[in-house]
Amino acid sequence: MTPILRKLSRDLPAMFGLAIVLIVLLVAILGPLLAPYPGDAAASHLLRRLKPPSEGFPFGTDNLGRDILSRVILGARGALEVPLVVVGIAMTIGVPLGLVAGYRRDWVSESIMRFTDAVLAIPQLVLALALAQLLTPSLQSAMLALSLTYWPFFTRIVYAETRRLTGSVFVDALRGIGAGGTRIVFLHILPNTISPVIVRATIGLGFTILVAAVLGFLGMGATPPAPDWGLAIAESRSYLPTCWWFATFPGLAILLTVMGFNLLGDGLRDLVDPRLRRSR
Amino acid sequence: MLRFVLRRCGLALPSLFGLLVITFLMIRLVPSDPAAAMAGDDATPQQIALLRHQYGFDRPIWEQFGVYLGKIARFDLGESAFSHRPIALDIAQRLPATLELIVVSLLLSVGIGVPLGVFAALRYNQGADYLLRIVSVLGVAVAAFWLAIMLQLLFSMQLGWLPLRGELAEATAPPARVTGSILLDSVIDGRWDALVDALRHLVLPAVTLAFGSLASIVRFTRAGVLETLQNDFVFYERAMGYRRSRLIWLYVLRNSVTATVTQIGLLFGSLIAGGVVVEAIFDWPGIGSYTVQAILTGDRQVMLAVTLLIGAIYAAVNIVTDVVHGLIDPRLLDRP
Amino acid sequence: MSAVPPLSRRRFGVLTGGSLLASGMRAQAAEPNTFVSGFGLPANLDPHQVFDVPMQALMLNAYDNLYRYEGDPPRIVPWLAQSHSVSADGLTWEFNLRPGIRFHDGSEMTADDAVYSFRRMLALAMAPAAAFLPILKPDKVTAPGKLTVRFELNSVYAPFFAAIPCVSIVNPRQIRANEKNGDWGRTWLASNTAASGAYRIDPASYRPLEQLDLEIFDGHFMGWKDNTRPVSKIANRPTQETSTRILALLNGSLDCTDTNLPADQVDRINASKIAYVQKDVVMRTFIIRMNNTRPPFDNLNARRCFAHAFDYMGFINDILDGYATRDPYPMPNTLWGCPKDAKGYDFDMAKARTYMAKAMAEGAPMKRPIEFHVQSENEQCVQSAQLFQSNLAEIGVNLKIVGDIWSNLTRLARKPETTPDMWVHWVSTYFVDPENWVGQMYDSRFHGTWKASSYYTNAKVDALLRRARGTISQDARAPLYEAAIRQIMQDCPDIWIYNSMQLQGLNRRVKGRRFCTVGQGQEIRWITLAT
Repeated sequence: MTPILRKLSRDLPAMFGLAIVLIVLLVAILGPLLAPYPGDAAASHLLRRLKPPSEGFPFGTDNLGRDILSRVILGARGALEVPLVVVGIAMTIGVPLGLVAGYRRDWVSESIMRFTDAVLAIPQLVLALALAQLLTPSLQSAMLALSLTYWPFFTRIVYAETRRLTGSVFVDALRGIGAGGTRIVFLHILPNTISPVIVRATIGLGFTILVAAVLGFLGMGATPPAPDWGLAIAESRSYLPTCWWFATFPGLAILLTVMGFNLLGDGLRDLVDPRLRRSR
Repeated sequence: MLRFVLRRCGLALPSLFGLLVITFLMIRLVPSDPAAAMAGDDATPQQIALLRHQYGFDRPIWEQFGVYLGKIARFDLGESAFSHRPIALDIAQRLPATLELIVVSLLLSVGIGVPLGVFAALRYNQGADYLLRIVSVLGVAVAAFWLAIMLQLLFSMQLGWLPLRGELAEATAPPARVTGSILLDSVIDGRWDALVDALRHLVLPAVTLAFGSLASIVRFTRAGVLETLQNDFVFYERAMGYRRSRLIWLYVLRNSVTATVTQIGLLFGSLIAGGVVVEAIFDWPGIGSYTVQAILTGDRQVMLAVTLLIGAIYAAVNIVTDVVHGLIDPRLLDRP
Repeated sequence: MSAVPPLSRRRFGVLTGGSLLASGMRAQAAEPNTFVSGFGLPANLDPHQVFDVPMQALMLNAYDNLYRYEGDPPRIVPWLAQSHSVSADGLTWEFNLRPGIRFHDGSEMTADDAVYSFRRMLALAMAPAAAFLPILKPDKVTAPGKLTVRFELNSVYAPFFAAIPCVSIVNPRQIRANEKNGDWGRTWLASNTAASGAYRIDPASYRPLEQLDLEIFDGHFMGWKDNTRPVSKIANRPTQETSTRILALLNGSLDCTDTNLPADQVDRINASKIAYVQKDVVMRTFIIRMNNTRPPFDNLNARRCFAHAFDYMGFINDILDGYATRDPYPMPNTLWGCPKDAKGYDFDMAKARTYMAKAMAEGAPMKRPIEFHVQSENEQCVQSAQLFQSNLAEIGVNLKIVGDIWSNLTRLARKPETTPDMWVHWVSTYFVDPENWVGQMYDSRFHGTWKASSYYTNAKVDALLRRARGTISQDARAPLYEAAIRQIMQDCPDIWIYNSMQLQGLNRRVKGRRFCTVGQGQEIRWITLAT
């Protein structure tokens, strides 16, 4: 075991987070095998609508008689897929832009950073809602909108890190021995920006799950009958207060998953930036 | 001081300009006819052509941008494609309610969050600290819309302690509108019954909204206090025999206030964003529920106006916090 | 006929966020003579711009029309006009206004005002104009006398009289004062009023989709002799969520809900001392549309396969708790012109399988993913789609549900290429005539409007419907519609599901309500609030 992992393993909350993330990951992969009624992703059973939690249906059933436990389990895959894609795209856009802006010191750098600031000037959720609506609401639009609004966070981090490194002695030394710009950026600067990017990505995964759930809740993300957690909460509102279970369990699933990513992200950040160690 | 304020405003100009460019491009570049979208479902081709001409969609793009800037400068945000009302009018009617909700939530989270953060730092690695850490992790991880529904379910639907929705009961006559904020208007109008009713209506939305920012305030106050406690001057003062409590409240807290002020700008942004769903769930008649209406009616014009508005408010708040920061910590004023 | 969405009633009910209403469980009586309505509000307040069920409800209270529908079953009765006459060729119609009618601003209503109203409606060419645009030119609406309005139609149009109540008479003096570069006061009237109706809109109270107050108009031309204790103020407070609306009704802060209560709430409301559920049969049909131009829906056997795969009675009995009547016809089964002996399609998976095999033998691509668009915020649309999806999966048909919104759907429906494979909506009563349903849904001349979005074409049906439209006597028209409907049902262009029963929660203090399917019983002038 490397020293870093050993350090991480001593951080109890981070390990707890890791455990949650692994469990959710496992549930996402094995979903259809774990769910008591894997068919309930799409099927409807009119005769057992809105039944309270019982032995057969530990989380109760929803407005179409579907087992909520099964749908919470089946929803894990979508809940992870969306943030993985979103953070993936956001990194692909944001990291190169940050590298370029950080390494160069001309109008290109300036315009990239001004544009980044302008996007950051609008709260992400608001901008994502506007974009998703313009693209006509669907899960794809939602993912695109979230990606197009999340990349500036990576650009900012990579920019700062690159600036710090390009000013450092070792880059000067590299330049001195005649290394080209591309070579310096990719072989020497990029690897050094990886750890802050990983930290940001981990926290970003949790954050994106939340924002994606809001989009689903507002009907701008997943569409029925997808077992989406946010969507289920939106559907449940018409059946309150009688059917409390319908809203409760999908919400708990979101809470737990996001918490897992946050705890893990916090732990990773402490490793990368020990100065912030106590800030948790 | 004035130079600092001006310079700070100047720094915000590029991003405000960027904001205008982004909102402008969003409505022009999306692959659909903005005139058709504005004309609505029953429009004839003639009506669409007329609108296209009226709004200048047939002119070159830079010229359109000029017209757009001119309109924004005159606070003309266009007309809702859905209700055909001027958007600026709707926003003027609704903005006070949103600001009221956000300010109250902010006060709540700072008022509770800072003492809790200090408390947690003092009980570093003890039971209370762990408990607060868990709560603050939960606070950041909880979906505001779900929390809102759970609070409604418990406190309004089951226990019946607090109102479910709206900003005033139907039976309560609203106070005369002066500021648009029901709380302030009730005070101005001397309507104490309305004030009490409005406060009762405010509790659940404000608590929901405050929960997330409360959690982050606890986190960074705790971190700030821990850091300050380990500073040399605190050791020194302690060595000089100052009482611990005096040290904490006088020195430590003052030092962490600086950090808190910087955070408020950031929190304001997350409160505005969080307010969108929270307002919609509690039928709070502000910008958030207006946004959700625009989403459901497919009203792009309103969506973009709201995006612009929120971006501008966010920028303004950041300028103000920077200035306040400068006042607290004058060293910043001289920094380039 | 375009008309703004029939669904919008539910839709607006869903999305509106009222404010000044209802708090928790604390029972609180509203003001003694104020009727607090949870019924939805229209997109704006101009009756010549918007024409949907919420607008019909508002028009009935704030505006007047020449004739209007009253009663159940609906009858068209003289209102501003006391009589009318029609020439023998069916082309010239004259309406005689009552003398001495006053607008809210005190000015007297003359035939010129009615002429202005019709011309404004035609010039704006928005929702309510659709029925009139093809047959009426603005200069053919004239005022030969102070109280006589004359219409000269281009061609005989039997439903003309039935559509007269769609047009509100507005006050030109107030509108002209607020006109901006020839917009017919469009922007102004969207949040103001220029009316003569029994209740007067208070523009200051207006917040779109959320709140609107109306005060009683003592000088209404009908007088108030027929209701000695009328409601003095109407406070419209539509709420966003069904559950909120029901709680507000149960704690007494709401006098009525929307008319779309979920069936599973009926018992709960009836058990309360404060409120009850009023059930009324309305003319409002629920239909799954198929895009007949797109394979596999261009194949008759394929369409029949789908028609047999929907669990009609399961949907009506289990999801709607029986609060709807199965209606296998392309219009309400309570209306004249319906061929009562024609047999509809039933839920029968064996038949569905047979038709599917036939369709596939004919090369219909039954296995391709089929997109079913729903208005995502509309619970019932989504439920019907999911039920259908689950049954179709049994025979290997892959139905994909796509979330959408009403305004986008009507846009898509303008062209056969963009119209979804399938979608679902209601058709409410805009005027009481088969033309409102079968006429505008299956005559190919209406292609391009959402009502005709199955893009069904049958020359025989076109001829029958056009003849029925050009014939004045109802006795002569009825057999034409019956013949057309028989043929349409043979061709199975759509899946006709039910005619609605509306469920509205009412406070028990509400007395004297009169129901009419047009406006869904929201005319307040008959109501008294018991103390």
